[in-house]
Amino acid sequence: MADREVDQLLVERVQRGDKQAFNLLVTKYQRKLGRLISRFIRDPAEAEDVTQDAFIKAYRALPGFRGESAFYTWLYRIGINTAKNYLLASKRRAPTSTPFDIEDAESFEDATLLHEVSTPENELMSKQVVDVVQSSLQQLPEDLRSALTLREIEGLSYEEIASVMNCPIGTVRSRIFRAREAVAENLRPLLETSKGKRW
Amino acid sequence: MKQGISVLMDGELHEDEAEVLLGEIRRDGDAHGDWAVYHLIGDVLRQPEHIHRDLGAGVQARMKDEPTVLAPRSRAVTQKVRTVALSAAASVVAVGVVAWMSLQIAPEAAPQLAMQDASMRPVKMAIHPKSNDYLMAHQEFSPAADMTGGTAYIRTVAYSLNEKP
Repeated sequence: MADREVDQLLVERVQRGDKQAFNLLVTKYQRKLGRLISRFIRDPAEAEDVTQDAFIKAYRALPGFRGESAFYTWLYRIGINTAKNYLLASKRRAPTSTPFDIEDAESFEDATLLHEVSTPENELMSKQVVDVVQSSLQQLPEDLRSALTLREIEGLSYEEIASVMNCPIGTVRSRIFRAREAVAENLRPLLETSKGKRW
Repeated sequence: MKQGISVLMDGELHEDEAEVLLGEIRRDGDAHGDWAVYHLIGDVLRQPEHIHRDLGAGVQARMKDEPTVLAPRSRAVTQKVRTVALSAAASVVAVGVVAWMSLQIAPEAAPQLAMQDASMRPVKMAIHPKSNDYLMAHQEFSPAADMTGGTAYIRTVAYSLNEKP
């Protein structure tokens, strides 16, 4: 089943009264939505609050979500509206020169326009997380590194990766998992030390 | 379970397995942690310059005050069920039509032959040698090209040179 269908399963769980399922969606999309909202709201703390607001609004609106569009496309619209309403309420203007529309929701890669939560503490933590992930990736055997890169960066399916790497799909599945787990092993101690700081 | 989470987040798990695994992840804190870390790794690889702290705990805290949402089954699911039901009904109708048609055609020939009385059975007829030429000349009008349903009207005709009129 496609990624969109996994989201739909989670949405249906939430619609049946499962709040925990919504947390999985928040975990999955928080950074993507946060990046989107920070295009409108420059202040990192405000952007963070508005991102949380957008998730709460999405949760309240979920009974009306019928799965006609992808969940993230729908969440994207809520994020934009929440950010614009926040700016209107703050009597500030949303940046009108920023060109983006619904199509951006599925391929949001415009990094140059983004702002970030930029307190020194967060910047340091972000840097450490990125360093650990990248150094762990470099230490992986070539086959594991390639499989994970083809999946996460190039967005290829298992079948496509199997074709590129000339190996069975089962091997691709195993390589991607082993690569993720090897990186996660190095990342967990760092995240655990920062548990109180919501990393 | 970790490998299952890895496959699930790549959208490569079957729906029934995904449904079961999602249930386990939401109940198991460690599994939720793995889900979070794997997604963080993906976000770092795609957008390393834009990693911020986890907002999940904040959202979760605010959601404690939110009433639980309940919604009727989504249209997508209803449509899926309707599509499957219509497909099944169409298949049953198609099979029924084919079966009915074959019943209309198949039993025609043999029972009719069996039921024919002696007078209707093929008889040995005396044919004049000139008839041979006649049959040859008019063979294009023979019903042999379209035998279906015409078995009852067929009579066997034979001719032998040794046979004298």
